[in-house]
Amino acid sequence: MDSSERVQAAARFLLQSPPGEINDVLNDVRNIISDDDSLQEGVLPALQEYNLAQFIIADVPGSEHQSIISEAAKIEGQEGGEDRFLDPRSKISFRFDHLSLEASDAQPVEPDSEAEPFRAALESSTLSYLNSHFNEGVASVFATPGSSSKFTIQIVANKYNPTNFWSGRWRSEYVVDLAQKVISGRILVNVHYYEQGNVQLETKQNLTIPLPPAITPSNPSTSASKLLALIEEEEGKYQTHLSDSYQEMSDKTFKSLRRALPLTRQKIEWDRVLGYKLGAELSGSKGVFAES
Amino acid sequence: MTDLVDSMLDLMRRLPPTRVEENVSALVNICPDYADDLLGSVDQPLKLKTDRATGREYLACDYNRDGESYRSPWSNEYDPPLDDGTVPTPKLRQLEIKANEAFDTYREMYFEGGVSSVFLWDLDDGGFAGVVLFKKSLNPSTASEPSGSWDSIHVFEAAERGRQAHYKLTSTIMLELGIKSSGDISLSGSMTRQTEQDCPVQNQESHITNMGRMIEEMEIKMRNLLQEVYFGKTRDVVYDLRSIESLERQRRQRELQKELVGFMKR
Repeated sequence: MDSSERVQAAARFLLQSPPGEINDVLNDVRNIISDDDSLQEGVLPALQEYNLAQFIIADVPGSEHQSIISEAAKIEGQEGGEDRFLDPRSKISFRFDHLSLEASDAQPVEPDSEAEPFRAALESSTLSYLNSHFNEGVASVFATPGSSSKFTIQIVANKYNPTNFWSGRWRSEYVVDLAQKVISGRILVNVHYYEQGNVQLETKQNLTIPLPPAITPSNPSTSASKLLALIEEEEGKYQTHLSDSYQEMSDKTFKSLRRALPLTRQKIEWDRVLGYKLGAELSGSKGVFAES
Repeated sequence: MTDLVDSMLDLMRRLPPTRVEENVSALVNICPDYADDLLGSVDQPLKLKTDRATGREYLACDYNRDGESYRSPWSNEYDPPLDDGTVPTPKLRQLEIKANEAFDTYREMYFEGGVSSVFLWDLDDGGFAGVVLFKKSLNPSTASEPSGSWDSIHVFEAAERGRQAHYKLTSTIMLELGIKSSGDISLSGSMTRQTEQDCPVQNQESHITNMGRMIEEMEIKMRNLLQEVYFGKTRDVVYDLRSIESLERQRRQRELQKELVGFMKR
């Protein structure tokens, strides 16, 4: 494997990192590749891809809240310049270091005046929804450049507990299209448990929620709270479905893979297992070790 | 610098269990010199093979591999055939045949299906080692039904000391569960545990009854553990991330309770 293939392999490992373990994976990869120079340059695009896909959170410079790093938050760098990220809530953009996860160089951003009232209303409803269902959640609500009827709601909740060898991440994203009267969404859940083992839950669910006629851009605050009520209902349904699936996998699949005890409800009598076999062989005329 | 193999093992403990084969092969390509260390320490899903001589299915893993060929426990033959493939000494092969029969009975009683295989090999110090394998897969008849597979890999070493034998057992169980209907749910991984024990030995067959009991104990323990981790721990983390009930309502209730307690104290 040449150097560039090794870096590509390293990038694929990084993209598979469980929640909150990208640094551990990076340390392992550095040790395995042992070529920091080509690695440093080569894995940066992978780190960026990972951060955007995983809704990594940034401490917004100059404010108390956090915002989501994602494709929707990205402001393309002009003329080869580096990408910046938008926090619509504080209306600033910032530089983001994809390795250290630090935000810097805050600059004010003028929001689209047509889209802003509805976006702000969605944001406020999203934050109160976040507060009522997520323990440590972060949400960002983005307007779509050049449109005043399309918005993206993103939610992420992380729990990292390396001391007890587990971590988890809930991501959801909803593209609200007021013109098409539909919300297209997806929910992604990842859990990693790794005490003397490696067990992972990975779920993906796409959702389509039709919008009732009462939801219009002209009455932002009522529409926004109705929209979030719909999302709340769908996420609740999904979580219940997940719970039912757990039940089914535990009660049916797990049990039919392996019984807790044999049908006799007793552990095996090993002397008899051997005895039976030997007895059967001896009663036959074939040699002791003949294939039964 | 930390040991390279440690880094590889740590990495494999973190990356998705559903992609273990792809990731192990990538690591082997990156560090070919460490291929044996890696293949010997990372458990991969067992492969099903069919014995050409008997038509019977057996399990293939790193322990019955010689080059590109795998040895069948039923016919003792390698597939593709090898002229000089490693086989156990005749005495150990006799024990291997009996062990395969005994653990096949065990498999039927606990798994009610699936495939088992036992492989033994001689150790340089006079003792012997072996691996006991079980695999069972469930393929759903409808899309909404979950699929599942269970792979057990029990690696042991036996050292005779007079009328006693000392056994070391390392057991890994890989369990994969999944539903693909309206959305994907995949719950998969592996857990590993070790144990050691001294047991009396009267004859060669004592090794089978001793190992049988140890493996049975271990699987019972690990099945409980898997149940707890798969359906308890990972589910709890999901509920830690998001609550179905409104947390706002819970907070208000707590406030109200506090007020009531304060009121009653007055």
